[in-house]
Amino acid sequence: MNKMPVIIIGAFLTFLSSWIGLVAYPYLQLGRFTPFTSEDTGDINPPPLSGMAVTGQRVYGSSGCIYCHSQQVRQVGYGSDLERGWGARPTVARDYMRENPAFLGTMRTGPDLTNIGARQPSVMWHHQHLYQPGTVSPGSIMPSYRYLYRLQKIEGQRSANAIDLLPPDNPPDGYEVVPTYEAEALVAYLLSLNRNYPLPEAPEPPQ
Amino acid sequence: MIDELDNQNPRPDTFEANRESDDLNVRDVHGAILREKDDPRDGYEPIPLWLVSFFMALVFWGGAYLAFNSGGFESKVFNPSQVSWSGGGAVAKGPPDPKVVGKRLYTANCVACHQATGLGVAGQFPTLVGSEWVLTEGWQGDNHLVFILLNGLQGAIQVKGDTYNGAMPPWKQLKDDQIAAILTYIRSEWGNNESPISAEQVAKIREETAAQTEPYTQAQLQAIPAIEFEDAPAAAEGSAPPAPDAAAPAPAPGA
Amino acid sequence: MSATTTAHSSTAAPAMDKAERARIDESTRVPVLLFFGSAVFWLLVGTLFALLASFKMNAPHLLDQWGWLTFGRVRPAHLNAVAYGWASSAAIGTSLWLMARLCRTPLRHSKLLICAAIFWNIGVLLGIFGILSGDSRSIEWLEFPNYASLMLFVAFGLIAVWAVIMFRFRQPGHVYVSQWYLLAAFIWFPWLYSTANILLNFEPIQGGAQGAVNWWYGHNALGLWFTPIGLAAAYYFIPKVLGRPIHSYYLSILGFWSLALFYSWNGMHHLIGGPFPAWMVSASVVASIMMFIPVITTAINHHMTVRGNFGALKWSPTLRFTVFGAMCYTLASVQGSFMAIPLLNKITHFTHYTVGHAHLGLYAFFTMIMFGSMYYIMPRVVGWEWPSARLIRWHFWLVAIGIGVMVVALTIGGILQGLALLDPGITFMASLDYTKPWLFLRSGSGILLTAGHIVFATSFTLLLLKAGTRREGPTLFGTDQGREPEPIAP
Repeated sequence: MNKMPVIIIGAFLTFLSSWIGLVAYPYLQLGRFTPFTSEDTGDINPPPLSGMAVTGQRVYGSSGCIYCHSQQVRQVGYGSDLERGWGARPTVARDYMRENPAFLGTMRTGPDLTNIGARQPSVMWHHQHLYQPGTVSPGSIMPSYRYLYRLQKIEGQRSANAIDLLPPDNPPDGYEVVPTYEAEALVAYLLSLNRNYPLPEAPEPPQ
Repeated sequence: MIDELDNQNPRPDTFEANRESDDLNVRDVHGAILREKDDPRDGYEPIPLWLVSFFMALVFWGGAYLAFNSGGFESKVFNPSQVSWSGGGAVAKGPPDPKVVGKRLYTANCVACHQATGLGVAGQFPTLVGSEWVLTEGWQGDNHLVFILLNGLQGAIQVKGDTYNGAMPPWKQLKDDQIAAILTYIRSEWGNNESPISAEQVAKIREETAAQTEPYTQAQLQAIPAIEFEDAPAAAEGSAPPAPDAAAPAPAPGA
Repeated sequence: MSATTTAHSSTAAPAMDKAERARIDESTRVPVLLFFGSAVFWLLVGTLFALLASFKMNAPHLLDQWGWLTFGRVRPAHLNAVAYGWASSAAIGTSLWLMARLCRTPLRHSKLLICAAIFWNIGVLLGIFGILSGDSRSIEWLEFPNYASLMLFVAFGLIAVWAVIMFRFRQPGHVYVSQWYLLAAFIWFPWLYSTANILLNFEPIQGGAQGAVNWWYGHNALGLWFTPIGLAAAYYFIPKVLGRPIHSYYLSILGFWSLALFYSWNGMHHLIGGPFPAWMVSASVVASIMMFIPVITTAINHHMTVRGNFGALKWSPTLRFTVFGAMCYTLASVQGSFMAIPLLNKITHFTHYTVGHAHLGLYAFFTMIMFGSMYYIMPRVVGWEWPSARLIRWHFWLVAIGIGVMVVALTIGGILQGLALLDPGITFMASLDYTKPWLFLRSGSGILLTAGHIVFATSFTLLLLKAGTRREGPTLFGTDQGREPEPIAP
């Protein structure tokens, strides 16, 4: 094989095959979805993200949550995701159509978060967990996101969005811990994570 | 050392050799270069036959695997074990065991606060183990449990002598049979031993509390008379204090 | 050597004369030193980030007051620093030198490469700062914000142009196997990098298709950029140091084309069971198993070349690091093929097992071969021998034991974690508890690796400064103690 064109054309063609198979064709099959409107309820799924959750999605990305948490409920027979109650059904490509980027994740140092908004709808719990994960979830190695919160002196009355913390992180008397906008946005995003709606290509599996 | 000289000699008469010795310290470079062996060359051993056979077998396997696990190359088939999209859900295998379902739902939804052990987190999330709320001792009744699951709880509460000042979110988005399964599970796990709760009982209470929008406080719940579900289901809110738990199985006396 | 070898000796590369070879080495000096110097710098930076990330998993409260040091930023900073900072710079430096030697012509247009080195380093620096300050795109292997990835792309474009020109003006004659791999890598990487960045970062496509592009890129960065360059180096240095021919040209051809065909289809094996059509996942599973073909082919080729001369590993640093790397290439790839089987993937997916596998590939294979390459190339471009054989020995053992412990720890921890995750009766927290002792062991191995890198950086710096007394021969293991190596078997 002494001729440059042979190597170049060969390398080009073999690579082109995978570009067609794993990039171009998937784009055609999976990159041009429209949301599904249910005839019975009129719901549009997947629903669009709104308000603070849009910012929250960016906070999720910039904080690197994907390095410990996945967001995909695996197919039947490919893990115990459904048995653990991590979703009512496996996720499909259309579920991610509005995500940019899609936070599929590759590690489960922490649990899957696809449906965390359904499993854990308490705003206060999320703030507590982000601030002191080891206390709220004993044994957890999740780091604290205290840098998304502010310790401030109580002026008159306690703030409406001040969070309740357990020792050893509870604020001293006269002080309160308040989430920044980014923390509230992040929690809003987490609460929006709910993919338990049905889609025609995603039927619920038998119990 | 590997100071062996190469076969070829440098050509001192050429322009290149002289120019090179002007630019570089000859000893510097020639030390490493001199001892080097020739650049690599190819040998021409044939490919072993057993290797070719093995690779052919792999290609055959690959083709077969692709044929059987590609869901007809359709974009709507996501599970490789499916041969093709059946167009809907598969047939259910029969009614599931409520205890198993209850445990799964508890693990998914409740463990974050109440923990897998049911013991909660001291000062934050109340324990369910031996709790008078779960076992409906004291002022608590079975109906209170369903109220709490449907609409949540807020403010200070007393559990086993400790005070908790948290907030439990409402879970009315869960279906009746799911709430019933969770309650049945927590009432029969960790040494708790209370009767199960049925989906119909949950449905009835969901209907009655449809107007409730805020999580309950302990005071609000205490104002509602307790109902044990084995009692006559017609016992309505606001009626006389509950009749004794006549239908509950009495523990067998010793001997 | 068999009769068939001598019959074809006419197609062997014409031997370069010494002056010509010296001139070629001299012409590569500035670009190679620029890239190798950057590589060593980023190796230290990346290793520091790695240590921090690993410690944070053992002690989550470590330095958690600052957002820029949160685990979710330190971990991608580590990956990008070692992948684009260390590994890619070392790869480029090695490739430049190999290209010049194999084309048997002095390096031309070195200014292109100097520009490329500057752009490359600026890009990596901007990218790391971007990640730490929160601009990460949060797509694995493509976290660099656009202002950084653009720099890398410009730099790489310059290098690819240079590579094509060099190859075009090579001396006529037999094209050695290493050059096929180098040329192919330089074509594949810009295409990969530009496609992935355009479709995911510059003009992002819908989320449903992003995962496929992400992992087509992620796997191919390993398989079509690092692997070919690692193999090119192994195919050059193993026969070069031993003075023996590569066992079979035909195996080289089979290995090269089967790698080109199958490797690029592997990407979806990162997403088995995930939200993608079954055919895509199955195609990648098949391609992953088919990888046995190029991997076993290359393993036989290398093994038969060395066979009978494993004693040479006792004295040659280049050979020791390179053969270690080549063996781990086989190990990592075979492990990878098995991991793609859904039955096993069910267990290993989402666990630390995958992290162990990644390090077996990028470190035990690629990084070790890069160390071997640098040990060979540096004396020839600096004009001085490595100052201390003892430092080389310490380097080798620290990193060899370090990576061995790391891979074993993460493999065991990952399997335990995966088996626990598979069983819905075992709580999630229990699966985490299984991993904790192994994560401590991993941190311990990280300390060994860090020490090894500091030793290497020290050695490298001393060489640049031409420290110590002039040596008359190469710095081989044992030369500090005055030992002499045995001759190579014919």
